[in-house]
Amino acid sequence: MIPDNIHPAITAIPIGIAFGVILERAGLGDPKVIAGQLRGRDFTVVKVMFGAIVTALLGVVWAGSAGWLDPSAIAMPPTDLPAQALGAVIFGGGFALAALCPGTACVAAASGRRDGLAAVGGMFAGTALTPVAWPVVRGVVAETPREGSTLASDLGVPLGIVVVLLTAAAVLAMIIGRVMERRGGGSVWRPTTPESVAMALAATFAVADGRGALPSSRAEAIAAEIERESDHVEALELAELIRSRAPGLRILDLRDGVDTSTYVIPGARLMALSDIDTVSVAPGEKLVLYSDGGAHAAQAWVLLRVRGIRDALVLKDGMAAWEDEVLSPLAPAVPDDTSKARFVRARELSLWFGGFPRLVPDASTPASGTRPRRRRTC
Amino acid sequence: MKARPYADGTMAGIALGVVLLASFVLAGRGIGASGAFAATAGPVAAAIDPGTIEAAPALADRLPTDFAPWNDWIVLELLGVIAGALVSARLAGRWRTATNDRAPGRLTRAVAGGALMGLGARLAYGCTSGLALSGGALLSTGAWLFIPLAFATAIGVTALARDRRLEELA
Repeated sequence: MIPDNIHPAITAIPIGIAFGVILERAGLGDPKVIAGQLRGRDFTVVKVMFGAIVTALLGVVWAGSAGWLDPSAIAMPPTDLPAQALGAVIFGGGFALAALCPGTACVAAASGRRDGLAAVGGMFAGTALTPVAWPVVRGVVAETPREGSTLASDLGVPLGIVVVLLTAAAVLAMIIGRVMERRGGGSVWRPTTPESVAMALAATFAVADGRGALPSSRAEAIAAEIERESDHVEALELAELIRSRAPGLRILDLRDGVDTSTYVIPGARLMALSDIDTVSVAPGEKLVLYSDGGAHAAQAWVLLRVRGIRDALVLKDGMAAWEDEVLSPLAPAVPDDTSKARFVRARELSLWFGGFPRLVPDASTPASGTRPRRRRTC
Repeated sequence: MKARPYADGTMAGIALGVVLLASFVLAGRGIGASGAFAATAGPVAAAIDPGTIEAAPALADRLPTDFAPWNDWIVLELLGVIAGALVSARLAGRWRTATNDRAPGRLTRAVAGGALMGLGARLAYGCTSGLALSGGALLSTGAWLFIPLAFATAIGVTALARDRRLEELA
């Protein structure tokens, strides 16, 4: 990737020029071609769009698995399904009226077409007037959309399967397009060479990915997340999340040999590590995993992450940390401002959770039933 | 000069995919179009009525209010699109070859269609380029909701408006 300190024009202008030339050459600056697509007579739009999507998609997944590219570093549009559904319907209506989309309207205007210029003017006005329409549409809009959600992570389907299904669907759409354009030529049903190559690349990716033969990029990306420690939550943070009734918080207890008589973190549900494959995360949910020391929880986190589930956190140092930091936090021996503030916060949380803050390390904890027997397994 | 025929759609698609991939690698983002309208129309809307945008956080997220077009990747990219299309149309003898932009009502429908696309693209976080194409290639869930819905609506509206006013385009 090109460093951040160069001017954006250095990449933006050449890429834009290439984009404009291709749209113009393909005829997408011509409303006749787009109207022909919407009437099922001319499949140029389908061919260009699906050809481009499949080419770039296969490029991203293969370059990503070779380690040449980190797909998660590419900026992606956020997901807000109700707003995007309404937006798609409004957009589709405008698309039919103009027989141009925003990009191709610019191409049409640049080819000297007055209807292209008119659509560009309409786009500008419609965008500027969005705040006027906002009171009507705001009901469907999420305050904070989801970032980085993909079909693979949302549906819980392996990436290779999604790639192969989308490629097959795109190739099928292109073949149907050829048949409808020609209506009964001889060999139109056969995939063309580029279509066959795309299907072969997608199928190979799916097989290699499914067998775990493509470890590099994914393993590296996961390792980087672990290194950044973006994968865990501290015991005190978790305590505050529980106390503030954070929406979508779901806690899973992965300890061995725990039954209903054992103390669990309030709100947690028991789960065996072997059942982790059954977990799915709904949009907006945040999963927190814990075990005794944290090893089992961390292993479960990796299993979830490999399935594309990103909304999971591990409780750092597990139940041991919950006991030491929340249930019986220890006052600092030589307090300074930081450690004192931390203890004051911990003490307050501890009392809320029915714990016993300690002033000296060897103070025996009162037999209260809240303290579990310390187990030093994972 | 006689206009040259258009290029093959599949080949143009593959070339566009390579450009999109280059954008992912070199710029760390996909290509787009409606984002440039937001980056320029947003500040205009904010100058006229700043309160409405500020009062709606979800709207502020979609409609930037700072005017900095010369440092904005998407604005510069769309200027490139216009320049590339202009040169390409001239070289192919397609400059001003349009004959169907004088049909009655055509300009009105283009303006109205553009305005609807402007609103729709802000709601959806992008248009056929930024959301459908770039997001689609990254398997974005929102993009794969947008693609079938937008095209189905457009095909439905075209089929319902089965009057002569749309015939002039086909």
